[in-house]
Amino acid sequence: MSLVLQQIVLGFLTGGVYVAVGIGFSLVWGLLNIVNLAHGAFIVLGAYLTWFLFSKFGLDPFLSLPLDAALLFAVGYLIQRGLINWVIRAPVFFTLLLTFGLNLALVNGVLLLFSADFRSVTPSYAGSGIELGEVRVPLIRLATLAVAVLMAALVALVLNRTRLGAAILAVAANRDAAQLVGVDLRHAYALTFAIGAACAGVAGGLLSTVQAINPTAGEPYTLQAFVVVILGGLGRVSATVVGGLAFGLIEVFGQAAPGLGAGYANAIAFAILVVVLAVRPSGLLGRAQ
Amino acid sequence: MSALPKVPTRLRRVAVPVVWFLVVVVVLAPLTQTDEARNLGIPAVVNRAQLRILTTIAMFVVMASAWNIIGGLAGYASFGNVGFFGLGAYTTAMLVDRDRGGLPFAIGLLAAPILPMLFAAGIGSVLLRLRGHYFAIATLGTSIALGEVIKNIDFFGGSTGLFPPILPKADLVFFYLMLAVAALAIVSNWLILRSRFGYGLIAIRENEHAAEVIGIDTTRYKVRAFVTAAALTGLAGGVFAQWTSFVSQDNVFPISYNVEMILMAIIGGAGTVFGPVIGAVGLEALIQVLAGGGSAAAATQVGLGVLLAITVVFLPRGVIDFFGGRSKLSLRAIRASLRETSA
Repeated sequence: MSLVLQQIVLGFLTGGVYVAVGIGFSLVWGLLNIVNLAHGAFIVLGAYLTWFLFSKFGLDPFLSLPLDAALLFAVGYLIQRGLINWVIRAPVFFTLLLTFGLNLALVNGVLLLFSADFRSVTPSYAGSGIELGEVRVPLIRLATLAVAVLMAALVALVLNRTRLGAAILAVAANRDAAQLVGVDLRHAYALTFAIGAACAGVAGGLLSTVQAINPTAGEPYTLQAFVVVILGGLGRVSATVVGGLAFGLIEVFGQAAPGLGAGYANAIAFAILVVVLAVRPSGLLGRAQ
Repeated sequence: MSALPKVPTRLRRVAVPVVWFLVVVVVLAPLTQTDEARNLGIPAVVNRAQLRILTTIAMFVVMASAWNIIGGLAGYASFGNVGFFGLGAYTTAMLVDRDRGGLPFAIGLLAAPILPMLFAAGIGSVLLRLRGHYFAIATLGTSIALGEVIKNIDFFGGSTGLFPPILPKADLVFFYLMLAVAALAIVSNWLILRSRFGYGLIAIRENEHAAEVIGIDTTRYKVRAFVTAAALTGLAGGVFAQWTSFVSQDNVFPISYNVEMILMAIIGGAGTVFGPVIGAVGLEALIQVLAGGGSAAAATQVGLGVLLAITVVFLPRGVIDFFGGRSKLSLRAIRASLRETSA
């Protein structure tokens, strides 16, 4: 019994990273209709910044998260403004290829700068945890989940309670009407993408605390972000939170199933994806289309 | 994307003979490597390393042309074609492996397209209902998952992989074999573009609902296109397996192959017969020239990524379009295209 309980707790905690990874991806996809294949590269950039600040200056990884967000916000704004805006009305296929190209360039750029070696961020409290009866809760994992949920709430707040959010949602709902009431389209697109990238940067910072990172560490997360968003449903921040937590649970229990193991992580993820797409295309919480 | 563009007559008069001459040279040059040529005193004009590069280029011609059938003609951007390559490679490798099939290579090669075709028919009937992003990622995921499952099963060589026996005179044989598969892929594209099937696929690409209304069985057409692409790609995988004598997940299911084949088709001109060929030859030659070991390889990837981004933004219809009447390589044409798509 306690083993099952421990697995459930682990599942939720694992889900924290997936929530963080999913939010930015979901935002960009839902509002800009761009499946950002460079999402994993953004995560890697955030992870390397956190690692760099930690190893060079001893900065606590959780304190570097705002810097990750700021860096990636700038990178995201420039990429959208300078590149993606040019093909935003082209068939979806083009943005897919464009972001794949960006991913390739960014990941290999990081590879050139920092080599393929695995890096890890190990603050003094890395191994500590809280004992709750027979269940052990790793401290860093718990903090990761808390930051992810906090970030989701923040994004929801910005979208639903600020003028900026209103402009972003207006552009997504009807670009012509938004333009008529005075929204600067290019700026709004760029800001949306920048917020998505900033979320990816924070996710990268979090990731560096729970696993060793290298330049290609972000790539699986692009795919997993996709699965998380499909699982939860496109269009709402809360749906991504549910999707991320559910994905964490499924992963923990899936890999514990007899005959399977960590080697099947992608196979399990994509089996879920295909089943969800076939059975309930709008996701767990998504609005029916 | 366009149908086959008309090449202006003046350009055609010069370009066509030149291209044919180059094709004949490339096809015949490797023969100077044989003992017979040496006995006749003909110097070898290509060495073995160059022959391997030519074979690799032919392999990408197959993959880009096969992708063109589902991606360029039907407009379904498959990111999972590399799965067909891997399946074909594993089929051949399993059949010729001494401890498993123990069959001759000819049989192993002929069997290579079968599993990819069945697999394409199976996943195609489900995945081809998805559109746009959903189709792209679902195919990507399927091919990744497929490679992962195969790697986890020891019967298929596990993470060590399979080692098909090395054949004598391998380099020359495999060059011509790959060239034959490439020719088959090009001819398939050419025939499809001139058939009812091809027109149906283009109709699906331009407007699937309209295609359905005018009586095209869209599901059947799409699955047929997917299966055809799978057969050609699987065949290339089969040749590759015996040629390299090493088959593993990393080796025959690399996502980078899938990206490269799409890139080649798009840069050359998706939806045309020769666009993907031009793209494959040009890009793979470029990669081979740039590629070195270590950091040079990473720099090449950076270059490829930037090239991909630039192509998508500035030349959405591919290089081949500039030889046609539709657009010219001019700032005005590029600006017009950007006006259509930009925010």
